[in-house]
Amino acid sequence: MSDRASTTATTKPVSSKWGLLWLTLRAQRRNLIIGTLIGLLWTIGKVASPLLIRLGIDRGIREDDRLWLWAGLIAAAGLVAGTFTAFRRFYAFREARWTETRLRERLFSHIMSLHIGYHDRAQTGQLMSRSSSDLNSIQMFVVMIPITLSNMAMIASVVVILFVTDWFLALLALISLPLIQVLGARFSSAIHPAMLSVQAEQAELATVVEESVGGVRVIKGFGAERVQSAKLELAADDIRRESIAAARIRAVYLPAMELLPQVGLVAVLWFGGNRVIDGDLTLGGLVQFNVFVALLVTPLRMIGMTIAFAQRAAAALQRINEVLDVDSQVRDPDRPTTLPTGKGDRPTDGFGAVSFRDVTFGYEAPDAADAGPVLAGFTLDMAPGESVAIVGATGSGKSTVARLLVRFYDVHAGSVSIDGVDIRELSLHDLRRAVGIVFEDTLLFHDTVRANIAFADPEADGATIERAARLAGAHDFVMGLPDAYDTMLGERGFSLSGGQRQRIAIARAILADPRILVLDDATSAVDPSKEHEIRSAMSTVMDGRTTIVIAHRPGTIALADTVVLLDGGRVVASGPHDRLLASEPRYRDVLAAMESPSGADAADDVIGAVGVVAGD
Amino acid sequence: MFRVGGVADDDKLDKDQTRAVLRRAIRMAAPFRRTILAALGFVLLSTLGLLLGPVIVGYGIDNGIVANDRTVLRNAVLAYVVVVVIGYLAARQQYIFVNRAGEGFLQSLRVRTFDHIQKQSLGFFDRYQSGVLISRMTADIESMGELVQWGLLQLIAAVFLIVIALGLMLAMSWQLTIGALLVMPVIIIGSRKFQRDSNEAYLEVRERVGQNLSELQEGISGVRVIQAYAQEGQQTRQFVSSNRSLYRSHVRSIRVSTWYFGLVEAMGIFATAITIGVGGWLVGMDAIEIGTVVAFVLLLSQLFEPVQQLSQLYNTVQSSAAALDKLFTILDTQPEVEGGPLDLPERGELVVDGIGFAYPNTEASVLRDVTITVGDGERLALVGPTGAGKSTLAKLMARLYDPTVGAISFGGVDLRDATLDSLRQRVVVVPQEGFLFGGSIADNVRIAKAGATDDELREALDAIGALDRFEEFEDGIHTEVRERGSRLSAGERQLVSLARAALVDPAVLVLDEATSSLDPGTELIVEAALEKLMTGRTTIVVAHRLSTIRTADRIAVIDAGELAELGTHDELVAQGGRYAALSSAWQQSLPT
Repeated sequence: MSDRASTTATTKPVSSKWGLLWLTLRAQRRNLIIGTLIGLLWTIGKVASPLLIRLGIDRGIREDDRLWLWAGLIAAAGLVAGTFTAFRRFYAFREARWTETRLRERLFSHIMSLHIGYHDRAQTGQLMSRSSSDLNSIQMFVVMIPITLSNMAMIASVVVILFVTDWFLALLALISLPLIQVLGARFSSAIHPAMLSVQAEQAELATVVEESVGGVRVIKGFGAERVQSAKLELAADDIRRESIAAARIRAVYLPAMELLPQVGLVAVLWFGGNRVIDGDLTLGGLVQFNVFVALLVTPLRMIGMTIAFAQRAAAALQRINEVLDVDSQVRDPDRPTTLPTGKGDRPTDGFGAVSFRDVTFGYEAPDAADAGPVLAGFTLDMAPGESVAIVGATGSGKSTVARLLVRFYDVHAGSVSIDGVDIRELSLHDLRRAVGIVFEDTLLFHDTVRANIAFADPEADGATIERAARLAGAHDFVMGLPDAYDTMLGERGFSLSGGQRQRIAIARAILADPRILVLDDATSAVDPSKEHEIRSAMSTVMDGRTTIVIAHRPGTIALADTVVLLDGGRVVASGPHDRLLASEPRYRDVLAAMESPSGADAADDVIGAVGVVAGD
Repeated sequence: MFRVGGVADDDKLDKDQTRAVLRRAIRMAAPFRRTILAALGFVLLSTLGLLLGPVIVGYGIDNGIVANDRTVLRNAVLAYVVVVVIGYLAARQQYIFVNRAGEGFLQSLRVRTFDHIQKQSLGFFDRYQSGVLISRMTADIESMGELVQWGLLQLIAAVFLIVIALGLMLAMSWQLTIGALLVMPVIIIGSRKFQRDSNEAYLEVRERVGQNLSELQEGISGVRVIQAYAQEGQQTRQFVSSNRSLYRSHVRSIRVSTWYFGLVEAMGIFATAITIGVGGWLVGMDAIEIGTVVAFVLLLSQLFEPVQQLSQLYNTVQSSAAALDKLFTILDTQPEVEGGPLDLPERGELVVDGIGFAYPNTEASVLRDVTITVGDGERLALVGPTGAGKSTLAKLMARLYDPTVGAISFGGVDLRDATLDSLRQRVVVVPQEGFLFGGSIADNVRIAKAGATDDELREALDAIGALDRFEEFEDGIHTEVRERGSRLSAGERQLVSLARAALVDPAVLVLDEATSSLDPGTELIVEAALEKLMTGRTTIVVAHRLSTIRTADRIAVIDAGELAELGTHDELVAQGGRYAALSSAWQQSLPT
């Protein structure tokens, strides 16, 4: 764990990892102190019962003196111990969950605010495990804090009582007990890697299953079932081997941990028995030793656990800090300006002039390899209400233009401005409300159609949502869904076709009512016969609005007034489609690369027109 | 002690179903019966070791200490040592044997289930979502691992312990046993209630954890949209509200366990109080000796944990049974496509004879009355709108499914009568996207023919003109392709896919042409490879591109599940039907 922490360098010192926990726990100190105090009351009940058992045996039974009083007092001690162990547990677990809850919220809000460049490199799964399994490790440690404190109080009082009663016998009885704790800590650190390798082998098996299910057509096609079965059997054998190795570790430690207190008890029986015969110790005193030793076993074992949990929590905190320590590279300016308003006062009203001036930008490469600039000296001026299609070969930086306009990234050189204001002088909120993007890969949230459309303005009323849906050409199919606008979408909801998703995304942009619209057209995911519907939805939205169309297909180019050809990170030609087609060989090349799939789609449209109905 | 019972699923089985599932599991565990018997023996021994201690202490007190007989005391101590050592050794063995049996069972369950899944035809994979199959093989079996590693051992040990402890107590004094066990009804009733409530609370927590995780995932993977629409605040508020309800359900589940753990702790000490009281009274009446009272006090401290465990284990057993039941459902599914006895001839005509097809559990037929004879070495293009059934027809021709009516034969042999081995040697499907498995390029090509030598692999790659490209990689054809082939470009993945077909060297090739385009450079190489592969073979190609259609000998236009037109390009153009319209639309859409 520690080597993993050291490979990913952090900006802040390691010591801050406990600082984070400390700050979080300080806010909960009242309840944690209550929990610990309750734990001390539990200790009293717990420690009292063996003492009362001794009195019960010596006085009650042997001397026949008030037997039922002692029995009643033992029961009372049981009531105290039972009541307070319950409350101790409640406080400990509840506070631990509260710590977890608040850290998770902090983490989430931080992740949401981080610049997109961070998200490009971060893996979703990694961030997920920060907020789930790492927080769980911390939670498990926090549980142990009040419990361990009262356990230590109990251990201390028992040790004192036993030494006062008979120091020699106490030494014999207790000498083996610290070993339980040592063994417990060793066991934790030995079993942890063993469990990790079991998990690793399980992941290995999951991979085989995943690729066998995903690649079932290949496997069936070539009759490669046996190859995969052999791989799986290997993985299953590995799991078995690692699990049995883990069992061997358990077999070494767990019985030994059970054995140790017995060693003390045997010694107590021999030496203690002789002392009773000699009259140096009462029979009740002997029994009291037995009961106390049995009482110490669990708390001692738990201290070992606490140490192991603390180590895991430290590693988890370290990893969480690595995320929290990242500052967003794209931030609000200290004193944001506002956009000039034309029609009204809201930031979404306005002219929508866009200007890219000599923009240079390149993505940060994952392993510091050669990442040349994607845009170099890119200049583009758009008048309010103008629409421009950006055309270029794959990797020419078309989509980057859109990402720079909403400050997903900041330009390395040059500037981007809207209505004469440099976008870095605007608050991110204003900027992003002024620009609406329909992304290349349409992401719908697990929520209703309504909420997905009203994403930019959750307060929007039904009429506004329906209007946006109608403009995007989505209303009709939405009405056909099981619960119309209340149908749940997303991964676990109703699955829409690519074209339908696209139209929901367009409706989302319409509802945001931005000055400037960016359509990153990814109609490749769309059933060809539906493409023209989307195109018509797009043209409705574009009407009278400054629009940048990132064109991946010839069909969408036609939507724009002007075409801009991007090559080598700069604009190499611009003008109406027809003129470029006539004058620019490079433009023809790019279009030709787009040809093949779109040609087929055009043909499908024609088939539809001559009366063949598509089967879906 | 902080483990919440390993409940793995909400759909619980009733008692009879649970019993039936467990009986079947026991039958499946038959090969491990010797290991299981040994494990049981060791559990018994170690339990005895644990429980005889207090009895020996009691004996030592009565006959040694109270009777002032140091020899008896010494013998008792020696007996104690022997018991402890035997108990320790048996406990070590019990972990190993229980695990060996359990893991052996799980290993065979994994292998059997997977083999069975692999035997299924494609229809099965259409019905089951891939996520479901994966979780059957992983999460469901792992949740049983929990039972095997901990639960089973604890269960058996707890049962042994309770039975033996009760026996020992009764043998020492039945009156005191009744007295000490007065608290048992409270514990048992409390445990049952706790088991019910905690299960409910746990399921609620589990559901909220799931919701919370998916909110989290959605937030992270949707961060671009969220930021683009400046909705970070709103999303965080939403997340906080889901997170708080997760917290509340955690607190509810803590509350459920709170009173129970308190009750158990209190009852344990109550039992001791009763033992001292009743025991003292019995000692006063000379019914028992004081050592018996001490033995009871010590035994009782051993007895409560197992009773507590039993109630929690019940949940684990039940959910494992539910997981097992789901696996058995898979094991009981018969494969739809099974091989026949005949070998297919080396070459021949592929005859589609009046077939119809509907996907299982659906009404609508995808194909109706299609008849086509594809000559040996002919190249046939299947053309038609999306959803018309052309891909399904191609799949039927490779017997990935069986037609609902009619028959498809190769060289006069019905595909259903052919062995699956010979079928796959003669007819090969090349899917749209090159799917890669973990391992090297060589491993990936070898999928097509287990045991192929490196030279054969190189030959296959060379046959499609792709060898040089891969030999340039740092480890040549042994270069690891990384997860899902991410080391390779889309075009290279397709080349690997084509090389697989070349390795098999089939008579019939079924191609589903990719709709997405590659970058122009790779596109040419893939096209050349494809051309080399098709040469001299009967080829059925589901075509999307005019260039591909143009090179076909004949074209079949499939429309709404029927064969609409069939003929050469020139014939169909002359016919002036759908293909003619399509073809001319194509010409016009090309940039001038």
